[in-house]
Amino acid sequence: MTQIIIKNGFVVDPLNNIKGEVMDIAIKNGKIVDVKEVDESRATVIDAKGRLVMAGGIDIHSHIAGSKVNIGRLMRPEDHYLTNIPHKLPYKRAETGLTVPNVFRIGYEYARMGFTLVAEPATPPIKTRHTHHELNSIPIIDKMAFVLVDSNWLALDLIKERKKDLLAAYYAWLLKATKTYALKIVDPGSDAAWVMKGLGLDIDDQIPEYGFTPRELIKAVGEAAQVLNIPHKIHVHCNRLGYPGNYATTLKTMALAKDITRIGEGLAMHITHVQFTGYKGDSWATLESGGEDIAKELNANPYTSLDLGQVILDRPATTMTADAPFEFVLYHLTRWKWSNSDTEVDAAAGIVPYRYRSKSYVNTIQWAIGLEVALLTKDPWRVFITTDHPNAGPFMDYPKVFAWLVSKKAREDMLKKVNQRALRKCALPAIDKEYTLYDLAIMTRASPAKLLGIEKFKGHLGIGADADVAIYDINPREVDISKDYEKAVKAFRRAWLVIKSGDIVVREGEVVKTVYGKTLYIDPEIPTDLEKELSKVLEAKFKELYTVTLENFVIKEHEIAKPMRIPVKTHLK
Amino acid sequence: MPVALFILNTGRSLSQGMYMESEGKWSENYFKTVVAVEMNPNDIKRLGVKDRVKIARNGSSLVALVKPSDRVPEGAIFIPMGPVANFIIDGDTDGVGIPSFKAIEVEAGPAEEPVATLRDILKSLGAKNLDVDALMKDISVQSGEKRVVESVSCPFCGDLCDYLKIEVDGSKIVRNVGGCAVSIAKFLNYHKHRVLEPYVRRGGSLTKVDLDTAIEEAAKILANARYALIYGLSNTCVEAIELAVELAEILRGVVDNTSTVCHGPTVLAIQEVGTVAMTFAPVLHLADVVVFWGSNAREAHANHVSRLVMAMGRFRKGRKDRKLVVVDSRKTMLADMADIFIQVEPGKDLELATALRMALRDLEIESPSVAGVPREKIYELAELMKTARYGALFFGMGVTHTGAKLRNIQAVIKLVQELNEWTKWVLLPMRGHYNVTGANQVSLWLTGYPYAVDFSRGFPRMIPGVTTAVDLLANGDVDAALIIASDPAAHFPRKAVEHLSKIPVIVIDAKWSLTAAFADVIIPAGLVGIECEGTAYRMDGVPIYMKKVVNPPPGVLCDVELLKRLTEKVKSMKGWGE
Repeated sequence: MTQIIIKNGFVVDPLNNIKGEVMDIAIKNGKIVDVKEVDESRATVIDAKGRLVMAGGIDIHSHIAGSKVNIGRLMRPEDHYLTNIPHKLPYKRAETGLTVPNVFRIGYEYARMGFTLVAEPATPPIKTRHTHHELNSIPIIDKMAFVLVDSNWLALDLIKERKKDLLAAYYAWLLKATKTYALKIVDPGSDAAWVMKGLGLDIDDQIPEYGFTPRELIKAVGEAAQVLNIPHKIHVHCNRLGYPGNYATTLKTMALAKDITRIGEGLAMHITHVQFTGYKGDSWATLESGGEDIAKELNANPYTSLDLGQVILDRPATTMTADAPFEFVLYHLTRWKWSNSDTEVDAAAGIVPYRYRSKSYVNTIQWAIGLEVALLTKDPWRVFITTDHPNAGPFMDYPKVFAWLVSKKAREDMLKKVNQRALRKCALPAIDKEYTLYDLAIMTRASPAKLLGIEKFKGHLGIGADADVAIYDINPREVDISKDYEKAVKAFRRAWLVIKSGDIVVREGEVVKTVYGKTLYIDPEIPTDLEKELSKVLEAKFKELYTVTLENFVIKEHEIAKPMRIPVKTHLK
Repeated sequence: MPVALFILNTGRSLSQGMYMESEGKWSENYFKTVVAVEMNPNDIKRLGVKDRVKIARNGSSLVALVKPSDRVPEGAIFIPMGPVANFIIDGDTDGVGIPSFKAIEVEAGPAEEPVATLRDILKSLGAKNLDVDALMKDISVQSGEKRVVESVSCPFCGDLCDYLKIEVDGSKIVRNVGGCAVSIAKFLNYHKHRVLEPYVRRGGSLTKVDLDTAIEEAAKILANARYALIYGLSNTCVEAIELAVELAEILRGVVDNTSTVCHGPTVLAIQEVGTVAMTFAPVLHLADVVVFWGSNAREAHANHVSRLVMAMGRFRKGRKDRKLVVVDSRKTMLADMADIFIQVEPGKDLELATALRMALRDLEIESPSVAGVPREKIYELAELMKTARYGALFFGMGVTHTGAKLRNIQAVIKLVQELNEWTKWVLLPMRGHYNVTGANQVSLWLTGYPYAVDFSRGFPRMIPGVTTAVDLLANGDVDAALIIASDPAAHFPRKAVEHLSKIPVIVIDAKWSLTAAFADVIIPAGLVGIECEGTAYRMDGVPIYMKKVVNPPPGVLCDVELLKRLTEKVKSMKGWGE
């Protein structure tokens, strides 16, 4: 294994409280080590003088793999026509696509931006084997997937029967059987309602055939996650996503985090792509931003975190979500292509191509909401930068978002191009706040690692951490990113050098080596007696509900190219 | 001689499927099933046909045996898909990549000439190897330890039934519980007619060689080709398909799978309008109306109907809780079970789908009948669909192979999308090969396109009608072919097959395909799902990891290992050794 020393760079590493000091980082056997442990005469020495050194970036929410991504590729051939980069064999495979790129572009583009771990945030249980096939094929980055649990008939049965321990045990089994990392709730209960009745639900509506509400469902999953002691608790996409007035539902959902019986410290609920559920007003014509209210709730409610789902204007998007009823509604707005998939008794999904336009009133409000939430939040540790790729924009545009966060000038330049009527309804023009590079490092490295419970070995550059390092060609002592934000965009778009697990994979913005990262999954332990009881339930329910056998449903470890199993001690009795 | 105009349809028959899996494609019985056409008894009488009929089109003709059948309407002829039918299928794909396999206008009349033999046909196509009988071997299976393997997946059709119980005695497979007739034939005869040795064509005949030599030879052919075609893949696992795509990328060639001649038009339609799909369970639990359109599931996907129409779901108590509708040009065995049978004129599916969309919106249909279906029946069907609680539509080659091809499917998808304004409706293509869905999926995630992917510029492109396998062969564009887990010589039109006689061809297969007659290198492979493990995708996109129940014969490797070695060899010829 190669040894590397990165010398003289400005290091920004919030988890270790390092704020741009010039220091050397040493790497050996894929890990960060003490500089003394590396023999400089045998090591690759990288002179990072005048450059910014950070841990590899972590994206907690980006749709990069699985059935719905592939349906997106299938129904959007036009996404690939003008985006091709020929292969450079044997170092690099061919790349194509923007909103629904092929696996190679996904891995390479993240690497070029200095990101080294990405979470696929929604995989329907029955098709998770497919998700893993794609994750296996994505080069360079480490990855993980969150399993959909909200419209699962088996779980709904257990909630209805009030079998709390069995429900928790079932989720533990499901995480292990699908080799996934966290529990994901999408428009709670709505896919069950969609598959059965063609409906969507609000948080206090009744789930058809079950007679309880999404509120009770979120609470049940939230408490199961507490009992299971899993690192990333629940990842919630709120009810009524995409409808004017839905910010009220989001506030109710966030407040619910206080009602969840918590065991131990930490966040109880993550609200995802909050922009899509931050709409005030009672119609599209009267749409307003609910960003301020949501930021206020976040500031007051210490048990929640959220990510933006930041809209990128004037770029194509492909909306794809397990919120199938919403996609049906969006199809009526776009009147172009619509794909839907009713997925066994687990979930459903919809896919509709979209484009956010700067001249549009609604799209401008949507763009402003994400930034308002981010800028009005007091605690950068609880707000995450995402575009909910490819729903609000492609992940390749993260550097643009960085610029809007660190530079008022960047926002002002953009404000000139957008719908002016919409701006009068937004708080954004009056906000002066500018984040620093240190804050950016928190939002893209340190806090994602903490949120996912992997801060011991990811998201920082301390001794013992994985050697995932990004070096950007920007001198924080010379460049004022608030004024010269374009330089920051350029630097973050193409990292100067990227190291993944000790391998140099990117040099001067270009991929120089194709390696493959790990897939992280958790394995919460289940007490033997409970496991026995669960297996009886599983056998009966699989026979009744599923069209595959229980044995064939379970994903074996050998099906994952590079598995990393994380055992979890639970509070189950 | 009285000669009349007919509409010819090709399609799968149960006996053809069974003989293909039990006795093989070189067998007398398989040939008998594919050389026999079905005609309406009235047509037979009218033309004075005795036992043989001559069918002609654009200067090509074939002589076939005649079987009277009142399932076929007057004026139509049905012929099972295969080497005989392909003799008069046109290589022209109208720019969409798929030839017209159905609703073809032909002339037919009594035949004087004898029926051709399989060898006559292959010879006239320019086949290189005709004497394969001597090479065709059975694995000598022996009794021994008795085992029962549970939850086995069936590597035949797109239903990928994963609940088979396979009883094994030593290396013999003695029983298949849960499989359909074809599945049973496939498992119980797995050991028959196998390719057990690698061969290279030397001095005009196939010569036995060792595996390294065969792989070396194959790698040379591919590395020297200017534009190579890799074709097939629908009968192997996704792990192998990934390697095949990589190989095509290395070669800057083309990789295509069998959807190019089955549901290719479905894919093209989805590119235009999207789709409304589902996995099986919602149909099982909720569907109260099930439509099969241009799909004879009872013969081609025998367990499909029992799994999803007859079976009990949570909210549907089996067959009595569901209305079964069959739309087909032929009164198929499935139509016998239907509550409503709509006999559509061959090639007029687009018209019928359009009329149904009009009926949905209460628009007036002026013509008293559309596509041979009375107007009232169309309104009645539209009403039934609109008032369903959960409707499911399965469609097959009857819609993809005929007339307007992708435009048919587009209309059917639009129909289902529009039905969702009233209630829940979904649709699914009835995929043929057990992993053709997987072939599309792999191709999509690696290249962005589902089939017909060209790498000549170093990045993926898909140009239907140009980079589709039938067109590449019929136009003589490719100069080498690797055929893996497929049999284009049995399923491609004549002009495409003829090109295989002019270029070097490598065949990787477990059994003797008809394409082996055109091979310069033959490499034996294990049977995926029986002797080799790997993942396949069910027609609804549900991936299943297939077990193996016996070991491959000694010295025979699985597709994954073969493709790895072949790719490594090609890489080292390019000087990239790792």
